[in-house]
Amino acid sequence: MMKKRSAVMLSSVMLMSVVLAACGGNNTNNASNNAQNGSAGNAGGETKTVKIFQFKTEIVEGLNELKVEFEKEYPNIKLDIQTVGGGADYAAALKTKFASGDAPDIFSNGGYAEMDLWGDKLEDLSDQPWVKDLIPLAAEPMTKDGKTYGMPMNLEGIGYVYNKDLFEKAGITETPKTLSELEEAAKKLQAIDVIPFGNAYQEWWLLGNQGISVAFAQQDNVDEFIAGLNGGTASIVGNPVFKDWSNLLKLTVEYGQKNPLTTDANTHLAMFANGEVAMMQEGNWAQTLVDNITPDMNIGMFPMPINEDAEKNDKMTVGIPANLVVNKDSASKEEAKTFLNWLVTSDMGKEYITKKWKFIPALSTIEANPEDIGDLGSDVWNYVQEGKVYGLQSSKFPDGVTQEFASVIQQLIADKVDEAGWETAMQAAWDKLKK
Amino acid sequence: MRGSKSSQFGQQLFFVGPAVLFFTVVMIIPFVMGMYYSFTDWNGVSGNVAWVGFDNFKMIFTNDPDFWSSFWFTVRFTVLGVVLTNVVGFFLAYFLTKALKTRNMLRTIFFMPNVIGGLLLGFIWQFIFIKGFATMGDLTGWSFFNLPWLGDATTGFWAIVMVFVWQSSGYLMVIYIASLNNVSKEVLEAAEIDGASRGQVLRSIIVPLIMPAVTVGLFLAISWSFKMFDLNLSLTKGGPFKSTESVAMNIYNEAFLNNRYGLGTAKALLFFVIVAIITVIQVRVTKSKEVEA
Repeated sequence: MMKKRSAVMLSSVMLMSVVLAACGGNNTNNASNNAQNGSAGNAGGETKTVKIFQFKTEIVEGLNELKVEFEKEYPNIKLDIQTVGGGADYAAALKTKFASGDAPDIFSNGGYAEMDLWGDKLEDLSDQPWVKDLIPLAAEPMTKDGKTYGMPMNLEGIGYVYNKDLFEKAGITETPKTLSELEEAAKKLQAIDVIPFGNAYQEWWLLGNQGISVAFAQQDNVDEFIAGLNGGTASIVGNPVFKDWSNLLKLTVEYGQKNPLTTDANTHLAMFANGEVAMMQEGNWAQTLVDNITPDMNIGMFPMPINEDAEKNDKMTVGIPANLVVNKDSASKEEAKTFLNWLVTSDMGKEYITKKWKFIPALSTIEANPEDIGDLGSDVWNYVQEGKVYGLQSSKFPDGVTQEFASVIQQLIADKVDEAGWETAMQAAWDKLKK
Repeated sequence: MRGSKSSQFGQQLFFVGPAVLFFTVVMIIPFVMGMYYSFTDWNGVSGNVAWVGFDNFKMIFTNDPDFWSSFWFTVRFTVLGVVLTNVVGFFLAYFLTKALKTRNMLRTIFFMPNVIGGLLLGFIWQFIFIKGFATMGDLTGWSFFNLPWLGDATTGFWAIVMVFVWQSSGYLMVIYIASLNNVSKEVLEAAEIDGASRGQVLRSIIVPLIMPAVTVGLFLAISWSFKMFDLNLSLTKGGPFKSTESVAMNIYNEAFLNNRYGLGTAKALLFFVIVAIITVIQVRVTKSKEVEA
């Protein structure tokens, strides 16, 4: 009897300790939260933590180095940097963070539709010193009713990255500016046994986000067109620009490697860097990725031509991949603003932006040297300087449309639908998700 | 009397209480919240949650062909997955309960895929399908290897089935081994003396006697294949053109890509009801087939 009772006692004590331990963990958390909130009142004195949550995996290393520098200069502010890569995973993780009460102070936002989605969490940054220096194109995605809600991290150009040496070998002297010139170039490349295009058409973002953007950008008035799609007055069906775009797609598939639908971005990068293919649809971020495989490759970038209008086609698609925004309910939002300002005004921050990350700066006060931002970056920069750019349109699409577009475009690539059926399916995708 | 009753209650509270508490916190409360959200148009972020009644369910039934095509995909996948994993698992177990020298080693090998996470497996197999099969195709010239693996709807489907069976049958094998070892030697010997052939022994004695394991095996395989997400994500991401999108993935995309959390939870709720009905029927049916030796 005694034995039994002591066994019960023992197990209950053990159980209790488990429960208590769990509670204990919570308590300490609360305590530290309180401490943080408390310090909001007294200036100086205590250190405050700024939690940063972003998705650019390629800049993590640099951010961590910057963190050390920043904390040296501002001993009262600690940075806590967390990164989750990949667009969709990042969005889900961010929602989880907000839902669990662990909201970051600074996080990334894509602008336009995504700005509206997160609208009631965003701090108005219009009064920040760097706002006046923003390049107008870069400020647009995060501007609403004349207010600026985010800091664009950089500009990214999207187009065909090409191998200059292979182009020269094939006897192509100028970058193609029309669809027929592009086909001409592809034929010449085939003649020297090089596959003209590496198509990573497994990647949804390459098709439904960056690729299709051209078909929108070349509309006479893109914002009107998108408003029309939402209002039911415009249609993709029968729109000549989309037909043109599908011709470009077919051209790349015809002159591309086999199995485009199972090729991912890593594979086309590897094929390109090894000289197996001469062109690939990419952005200037591919610079560092190509450098990692084959350093000092002779490469460049040109816009994606979809028809015979050389002037209209010679415009690079330029987008803002991410903007840093401040959580307006954050206890340390002033510190967060301090960091953002430091990032684009201090010499250290500027140097990292162009030299380490090879970013094309989104602020006119940061200088971009061709040696720093690489061949691709400077090609894009030239287009930006000459004003020959289209904005990346996909952030204006309703949520989820980019993925729907990609799967419909994949059907076209796989010959599951014809061109007319494709336009109908594109329109249906939009109609399904518009608000 | 009264005292012992309350002490009984105290004991129950003590032992079951913590489990109930955690179960409530991590299962019941989210489930009820999900039920609530399925009647709203919440986008997952905003502070405004508007009640929309049955609109989400109406939408699913009238205006969402993608959900039903992913549902059909999941059903086909489940039927094949359940049958194949159980058949393969059973026969692995059947042969690995014979006196083989390499028995333990083989058991470990077949169980191994289960230890590796689904995502990782998916990425490994994606490499095998795309790079490995292509190379094999170049070397052997067999048309099987030269199919566009993962590149069209059919190969995508079969690729997921293959990897799923390879991953899950090891686990079911362990269940069947445990059950086969419990089939009493006397019965088997008696059958042998009566002149029953191997096939007869298998059909009329072993299978009926391991029915409890079949119940468990079917139940596990059904719930695994209905819920399958990680293999789907890492092998095909639902592509090409959504042809291999499982229901779990469709729900995830609806909630987190399309930012229609309300609609996503409505789908999840509907899916829960369907899967619950199917598994209850399955357990009833196989339970009724269980016999005692």
